[in-house]
Amino acid sequence: MPTEFIMPKVDMDQEKATIISWNKAEGDEVKQDETVLVVETDKVAIDVTAPATGKLVDIRFKEGDVVPVATVIAYVLGKGETMADIPGRTAATAAPKPAETPKAEAAKAPSAASPVAIRAAQELGVNINDVPASSGRISREDVEQYAESLKAAPQQPLSEAGKVAATPAARRLAREAGIALETLAGSGPHGRVQAQDVMAPAPAAARPAAPVAAVSTGERQAKVVPLTSMRQKIADRLQASFRDIPHIFLTVEADVTRLEDARKRLNEIAARQGNSKVSLTAMLVKVIAWGLERNPYLNASLVGQNIHLWEDINMGVATALDEGLIVPVVHNANKLPLRQISESITDLSKRAREGKLALSEIKGGTFTITNLGMFDIPQFNAVINPPECAILAAGSVVRKPVVVDEFDSIEVRPIISLTLSADHRIVDGVVAARFLNDLVEGIESPETML
Amino acid sequence: MPEITYLEAIRQAMWQEMKRDDRVFLIGEDIGRYGGAFGVSHGMLDEFGPERIIETPISEPSIVGAAVGAAVVDMRPIVEIMFMDFTLMTFDQIANQAGKMHYMFGGKATVPMVIRMPGGSGTGAAAQHSQSLETLLMHMPGLKVAVPSTPYDAKGLLLSAIRDPNPVCFVEHKLLYKTKGEVPEEQYTIPFGVADIKRQGKDLTIVSSGIMVHKSLAVVNRLAEEGIDVEVVDVRTLKPLDNDTIINSVAKTGKLLVVHEAVETAGWAGEIMAIVSGSRAFDYLDAPMRRLTGKNVPIPYNRQLERAAVPQEEDIEREVRAILKGEY
Repeated sequence: MPTEFIMPKVDMDQEKATIISWNKAEGDEVKQDETVLVVETDKVAIDVTAPATGKLVDIRFKEGDVVPVATVIAYVLGKGETMADIPGRTAATAAPKPAETPKAEAAKAPSAASPVAIRAAQELGVNINDVPASSGRISREDVEQYAESLKAAPQQPLSEAGKVAATPAARRLAREAGIALETLAGSGPHGRVQAQDVMAPAPAAARPAAPVAAVSTGERQAKVVPLTSMRQKIADRLQASFRDIPHIFLTVEADVTRLEDARKRLNEIAARQGNSKVSLTAMLVKVIAWGLERNPYLNASLVGQNIHLWEDINMGVATALDEGLIVPVVHNANKLPLRQISESITDLSKRAREGKLALSEIKGGTFTITNLGMFDIPQFNAVINPPECAILAAGSVVRKPVVVDEFDSIEVRPIISLTLSADHRIVDGVVAARFLNDLVEGIESPETML
Repeated sequence: MPEITYLEAIRQAMWQEMKRDDRVFLIGEDIGRYGGAFGVSHGMLDEFGPERIIETPISEPSIVGAAVGAAVVDMRPIVEIMFMDFTLMTFDQIANQAGKMHYMFGGKATVPMVIRMPGGSGTGAAAQHSQSLETLLMHMPGLKVAVPSTPYDAKGLLLSAIRDPNPVCFVEHKLLYKTKGEVPEEQYTIPFGVADIKRQGKDLTIVSSGIMVHKSLAVVNRLAEEGIDVEVVDVRTLKPLDNDTIINSVAKTGKLLVVHEAVETAGWAGEIMAIVSGSRAFDYLDAPMRRLTGKNVPIPYNRQLERAAVPQEEDIEREVRAILKGEY
C-alpha cells in the first residue's frame, strides 16, 4: 500500500500549517526522513521529512496552501506500487497513522491521569491524551490549565467556504462604505469582522501593541507584538498592492521658488484678513488635482476588464499615526479653493490622529499624495493605495545649485523631488511622464493653472 | 418624597384605589387577619372589613374563578395568589376564561381584574414556591404582565393594572418586598408598554426585569469605575413589551445581554432577541446576542444550589466582560 504523507502536528494547539516550499516535485524519489517540504505554523517553520522511501506522488497542495493537520498531502509509492494503489484518490483526508507522524508527535505518549483529572477533562470537553503532565501523572490542575490554554489559543477562522464572518453592524458599515468584507482583517473572535475593523479605528483600540511576551523561537529570542487590526489591514492591503500591481516609478525635480513665493504672498494676505495659512502640501494637492484633470488615466481604477476614469478627483493625503497610517480624503480637490484644501487637510489630519474620522472621509480616494518632506527625506518610492492607480511621493525641499537658463548660469534654488508610482497595467511610462511634466509646470509656473 | 418599601408601595396603591373606587376588593388566602403571606395586606381588613378583604379556602381555581365572575359584572377584584407557582392550578381560569372573554364576547364583556403573585427564588422555599413563570403568562393571548422592580414602579403599575379593563398578571418579586425607594404619596399611573432606562450607557445593553434589574445595576455601577459603560433597560411590563426602547438601545450599543431569573429554555430572553434581530437594530449588532437566565432546573432547596440556579452579580459581571472582550 502506498504510504500516506500527512501534514504533521508539531504543536499542541496547532490546527493547520502553511506550505512554504516543496523541495521535491511530483514523481521525485524520496528517502525516509529526508526533508521534502517546509511548512510554517503560526509560530515556526518546520522541515517535514518523508514518511517512507519511494516515489513522491499525488501532491495535493501547493506552496502557500493552508492545510489542516493530519490531512494527506501526498503519497509515497513503494516498490511495485502504482498510482492505482492509492486508496480512493478523491478522498481528501485520512486518519493519521501515529507511527508515521514526525518525532515531536511520536514523543508524546499518553501519560497516566488521576481519576479527578479524567473527570475534569470530561467536564471541560478536553481530550485527556492531549494534556501535558506537569509531573509523572496528569493532575486536575494540568487539565484546567490546558483547557485555559485552549481558550486563549487562536481559533480557526469561522468562515464557511466563500463566506466572511462578520457582525451585522460590520456588514452594514462595509456596505455603506462600499468596502468588500473580504478585504478586511477581522479582529473579533474566530477572525470575525467587527464594526471597528470597518471604521476608522478608535484611538484607544489602536495604540501600538506593547510586546506581550518574550518567546524563544529555536535559539533566537524575540519580543512578540501581535498585529493590531489597523496594522493587519495595512499589511494586507499593501501586500496585495505590491504583489498584484506592477509598479513603475518615475522621479522628477521641480523648482518651488515661484510656488513658495505665491504661498508667501497668499499667507501675507491671509494674515491681514485673519485667515489660516496655506501649507505647501495644500499647494501640491492643488497642482496635482489640476494635473489629474489633464491626465485622466492617473485618476483611474482597473475594475475587471474595464478602466474606470473617475469623474471626481478625490485626493488622499497619507497621514502618519502612532499606530500606523491612514489616508483621509479631500473630496473634489480640483474644485476647491486653495484655502479650503489647506484647512481641510489640517482638520482631517488632526481628527485622524484623534481617531475621529468619519467613514466617508477615508473612502472614495482617486489618488494619494504622501509627503516625508518634514523628515528631510529627499526622495522615496511609495506603494500604490488600491483601488487607485497611482501615488505621488513628495520629498523634502532641498536648496541646491541648478542651471537656470540657456547660458548655463547656476543658481541655488529650492528643489522638490516628486516620485510617481503608477500601475503599469493602466499607465504607461509616457503617460506618467506627461503627468509629471504637467506637475512640474504647475509648480514652476503656477499662473498656468489660472 | 417619602421613602417606603416595595411592599408598602403595593399596599398603598391598593389602599388608595379601594378608597377611591368601591368596586375594588381583595381576595386570597390569609390576606385578612394574617395580613397575607408576606404582609402586603397588613391592616387592610381593619380598614375595609371582610366584605372587601375576602379570605378564602385553599383553592386557587375557585379564587380566580370567583374573581373572573366578579370582574365580568363590573367589580374590580385584586387576587393575591400566595406563591406564583400556584397559578399553574388556575391556568384555565386565567388563560381560558379571564384572558379570552373580552374577545369571545365580541368586546361586549370586559374582565377588569388583577392577579398579584409573588415569584422568584432566594428564600429557601424550594422548587414549588420559587418559580418565575412570567413567560407562561405572557405567552397567553389576552393577558398583560407587569414585572415591577422598584417601589415607584410597583405603585404606578399596580394602579394602571387595577384600572385596566382586562386581566393583568402582576408579578412581585419576594426579595424586593423589603427594598426601599421614593414614592409619591398621591396617586399616579405608569402606562403599560413603556420600559424604563434605569441607567444610560453606550457599550452594551442589558434588558432585564424585577430583581435582575437591581443585580445588573449593582454590577454595572461597579464596572463604570473601569470606564465600562452599560445601559440597563428595565422592561417594567413584559406584555405589552416596549419594543422601541429595546431596539433603540441595542441600535445604540450594538450589543445585547438579556438577564432574567426565569429558566432559559423558551424564556422571554429569546423573545427579546427575536424582536431585536427582526428589527433595524439587527444592522447595528456587533456581537452575538446573549442571555443570562435561570438554569433549566427546579429551584433547589439547598441555599448554595438555589443561589447557583439563578443569575448572581458575579455571573452578570462575567458575562458583560466576556461580551465586551469579544469572547463569543
